[in-house]
Amino acid sequence: MADRCAVIGVGQTHLKAKREDVSIPGLVREAAQRALADAELTFADIDAVVIGKAPDMFEGVMMPELSLAAALGAVGKPMMRVHTAGSVGGSTALVAAHLISSGIHRRVLTVAYEKQSDSDAMWALSVPQPFAAPLLAGAGGYFAPHIRAYMRRSGAPEHIGRMVAVKDRRNALKNPYAHLHLEDIDMKMVEESIMLWDPLRYLEACPSSDGAAAMVLAAADAVSGSYPPAWVHGMAMRSEPTMFAGRDQVNPQAGRDCAADVYRQAGITDPRADLDMAEVYVPFSWYEPMWLENLGFCPEGEGWKLTESGATALDGDIPWNASGGVLSSNPIGASGMLRFLEAAMQVRSQAGEHQVEGARRALGHAYGGGSQFFAMWVVGSDKP
Amino acid sequence: MAEGDVLIATHVLDYPYSRSVGPVIGAFLTGLRDGRIVGARTPSGGVVVPPTEYDPQTGEDVGEIVEVGPAGTVESWAWVTTPGPKQPLDHPFAYALIRLDGATTSMLHVVDTGSPDALATGARVAPRWKPAADRIGHVLDIEAFVLEGGTGGAGTGGAGTGGAGTGGAGTGSTTGGAS
Repeated sequence: MADRCAVIGVGQTHLKAKREDVSIPGLVREAAQRALADAELTFADIDAVVIGKAPDMFEGVMMPELSLAAALGAVGKPMMRVHTAGSVGGSTALVAAHLISSGIHRRVLTVAYEKQSDSDAMWALSVPQPFAAPLLAGAGGYFAPHIRAYMRRSGAPEHIGRMVAVKDRRNALKNPYAHLHLEDIDMKMVEESIMLWDPLRYLEACPSSDGAAAMVLAAADAVSGSYPPAWVHGMAMRSEPTMFAGRDQVNPQAGRDCAADVYRQAGITDPRADLDMAEVYVPFSWYEPMWLENLGFCPEGEGWKLTESGATALDGDIPWNASGGVLSSNPIGASGMLRFLEAAMQVRSQAGEHQVEGARRALGHAYGGGSQFFAMWVVGSDKP
Repeated sequence: MAEGDVLIATHVLDYPYSRSVGPVIGAFLTGLRDGRIVGARTPSGGVVVPPTEYDPQTGEDVGEIVEVGPAGTVESWAWVTTPGPKQPLDHPFAYALIRLDGATTSMLHVVDTGSPDALATGARVAPRWKPAADRIGHVLDIEAFVLEGGTGGAGTGGAGTGGAGTGGAGTGSTTGGAS
């Protein structure tokens, strides 16, 4: 990496089922202005804006980046939009970070959002196609067979998914921005929720949320604000086709390669020991044990044992999704950026009640499409 | 399958959306429903109409919502000789950029003068509102702008073309030439 990149400002909206009180420009500005305030900057201090969101069909606004340029203070500045399905929030942050590390800009504002209440995004993912049987399965219907394959392959018992569902929702109770605040969540409540896509029950799936996330990224000589910066120690993206002969949909090659790349840059050889926490894109409960293996936190087939042991709980040795994660808030386009942002908040010691004590190095992760787009960064409190 | 026998299917996507307009655009639309036009004051002293939630140049938050117009000045216009079925009027009219009194930006709307000869850049125009009961909070709650004082439109284009009629701004709800 050429120039060093720091996160100097973070901002997010409250994540809710419906933000009918704001327009889309109002939503993205809320997050952007909080990030600017955190960095003690204004729009005038920003060199370029990088925005991301999931498919335009979710809100029915074509190329929203064109009209949002003025709302984000980008008039007369470079502005670009990134799109990599559900991982877009992560890859948007990485494109912004590249603009710093390449030496092109000194301060970049990056924003991601979704306003799911403007339509029904779940079913926008299942548009009927000519000459094909209507599937109407939504995202969960796509991933459920892969989860069943994981369970068969690893011998994981049924209760592991419910454990993740409970753990992440309890973490969300400590995060004032999280969408779901389920005070009474427990294993029984999850088990009694309706089966949506076997083996996924209602409470093992993410909600539909409105929300936005934003960060101000800066070069080493442009750091500002009262909180210490989070330094980017490594960043990587990988992708692979949705379907090809021999593809491992449970443990995709692109995810493993992306993790290996980001760990190499950050000097990480044992992620469970070398990282203090991780914010990982887990929209369905079983993706915690699956990604524990894909990201090398344990040998293949043993992710569920790590979850079962409590290692990934807030008081475990490697907390995953201290914020409550995607299972507690899912403004799709922003969900990946929220993982990256929460990782940065942790190493800046600004996570409040869900702070992992002494966190100095954290992983932010996002995946999208049919487990085919991956974006990751490692951030740390030490300047590398 | 015979050579050249290629199947083609019609693919219709019909998908409902909703929009929340937020406090600023919301104030503009609510104002229209109530027969008022409002803009937003920017930190640099401008008044943006229709209002945005931010200064379009700097991204700063706008300040107070202020009433403008309802009359204004035509800054630029294009005459529509043969309106299509989905256009706002069924007889010839102008699309115009109108700077409402008190505003520092211009707004796109329709000017109904019957004839292009009656319209000129710099002309003073005022809204012809739909009847209050028909207004819903839409930019076409203003049917059209007409020459201020009701001097335009009628008579200049001959029978069946005058939009404004002789009733003057704000009083006529007829579309004139339709009959």
